[in-house]
Amino acid sequence: MFLGQPLLSILELIKKKEVSSKEVFDYFLKRIEKYNPKLNAYLTVNRSYKSDRSDKIEMPVAVKDNFCTKGIRTTASSKVLENFIPPYESTVTRRLIDAGAFILGKTNMDAWAHGSSTETSDFGPTKNPWDLARCPGGSSGGSAAAVSSYLVPAAIGSETAGSIRQPAAWSGVIGLKPTYGRVSRYGLIAMGSSLDCPGPLTLTTEDAAFILKIIAGKDKFDATTVSNKVPDYVSLLKKKRKFIIGITDEYLNGVDEEIKNAFYQLVKILEKLGHRIKKIKLLSPKYSISVYTIIQRAEVSSNLAKFDGIRYGNDRTFFGSEAKRRIMLGTYVLSYGYYDAYYKKAQKVRTLIIEDFKKVFQKVDMILAPTTPIPALKLGEFEKYPFFGEMMDVLNEPAAIAGICAINFPFGLTKKDNLPIGLQLMGRWFEEENILNLTYQIEKETDFLGVIRKGVKNYPD
Amino acid sequence: MKKKSLTRDEIIHLAKLAGLSLTDSQIEKYKTQLEETISYIENLNELETKNVDPTSHTTLLTNVYFNDGEKNERALDLPAIFQNAKNKEKNYFKVSSIFDE
Repeated sequence: MFLGQPLLSILELIKKKEVSSKEVFDYFLKRIEKYNPKLNAYLTVNRSYKSDRSDKIEMPVAVKDNFCTKGIRTTASSKVLENFIPPYESTVTRRLIDAGAFILGKTNMDAWAHGSSTETSDFGPTKNPWDLARCPGGSSGGSAAAVSSYLVPAAIGSETAGSIRQPAAWSGVIGLKPTYGRVSRYGLIAMGSSLDCPGPLTLTTEDAAFILKIIAGKDKFDATTVSNKVPDYVSLLKKKRKFIIGITDEYLNGVDEEIKNAFYQLVKILEKLGHRIKKIKLLSPKYSISVYTIIQRAEVSSNLAKFDGIRYGNDRTFFGSEAKRRIMLGTYVLSYGYYDAYYKKAQKVRTLIIEDFKKVFQKVDMILAPTTPIPALKLGEFEKYPFFGEMMDVLNEPAAIAGICAINFPFGLTKKDNLPIGLQLMGRWFEEENILNLTYQIEKETDFLGVIRKGVKNYPD
Repeated sequence: MKKKSLTRDEIIHLAKLAGLSLTDSQIEKYKTQLEETISYIENLNELETKNVDPTSHTTLLTNVYFNDGEKNERALDLPAIFQNAKNKEKNYFKVSSIFDE
């Protein structure tokens, strides 16, 4: 009936009274019942939809299970919070609900968002809709899989370093990581507080712009949000703008050949569209991994200290192995005698990474790069890689460390395994409208090589 | 990559600081994994940072204040505060005692 319709089209149909919100809700509920047992994208489905008003305009949105939703179980995919019912609403979900969203369900993730595969979930892994033997990526893997298989037209994820872009790349959808401070973290179960950014995963650039406009902006409950004006991202998409786009070898080292080919194919298309491509130099992403590992583990060990099972949730024996590993390392780098060697050193290198981006952004408007070095891994395969798969986020971590905005969009499928390829644009602080604008141009010119439509077609009504 | 090593006692000490209980095999596993990680992050020493200031905040916000006397709209009422608590008595959370008689 609406198979593959993006959120804004569904909203249009509801407004024109061609369908009711209740029909839309029932449609997705039926799809979830059909496909979720196989995919495990949702941990909780919200069946409380009330059809008391047929003229009510409500749009279905799925939300990652680390956003507190008042009255709806919120677990962060950890047994520690197995039965936790938040007594308050996160700012992101509050703003969505106020804008007419109905929270269709809560999506699976790596426990506490610790991971890039959704395998560390205490409630079983989510499967990649393109190949059920593979990971959808993570940590927002449930949100990415739900959008890709059309169990919802749009979802919210959160990114600390890659957790929106990487699952979006592996599952073949759009994933936007806004600038740090653009979207409120209030009510988001904290992972790395100096890095966490909520953002949308969608089927179209327009939907990503539409959702960002709803959730962005100053929030008095999150002091790190900024008061910069929130532009009308959707109408700004339509402006035909020309950009200077940076590309760098540092982001192509060790990248899969098919992904590299897709990258160069897009470079040619961008030139044809009248954009200027400029070779730039950036610090090797390998330093970002170290900075990220130290800062994020440190923040994790402090953020997870409050889970004692006294006021809510279960006690600390319920932490899974990955959470424990991160808490241990965080405790180590913050402990007496090591603080200067690790945490302070990492914050200094973080300054270097920020300066590096600032310098480059004087010459170019944005940077184009692959999102991941390889396409989706098989379930269980992460263990085989050194450093527990941290390398899968190597191309995402610099932008996260610097706090800039970035967006993943699909660009073709691998010939070898028919898996989505993801490319990303990284933009200046608070210039989401620019990376969205170019993504929109790419969408109009190439339809992302049909990836999103094909993905949905694999899951007929 | 220079290999850094940790002792078993250090792992046990870290677990104690973090309020985690580990089994013997977990101690061994985390020892190996933490060693691998701290060896990797040594690469930061390839970069000279003597005259670099540490980052305090990526978007350079400074001094964000609440106004004095502003109503705390985030405050929860008592039923909401206790709705997820397993062990409570009247308006208190119950915890195990820390001190002996």
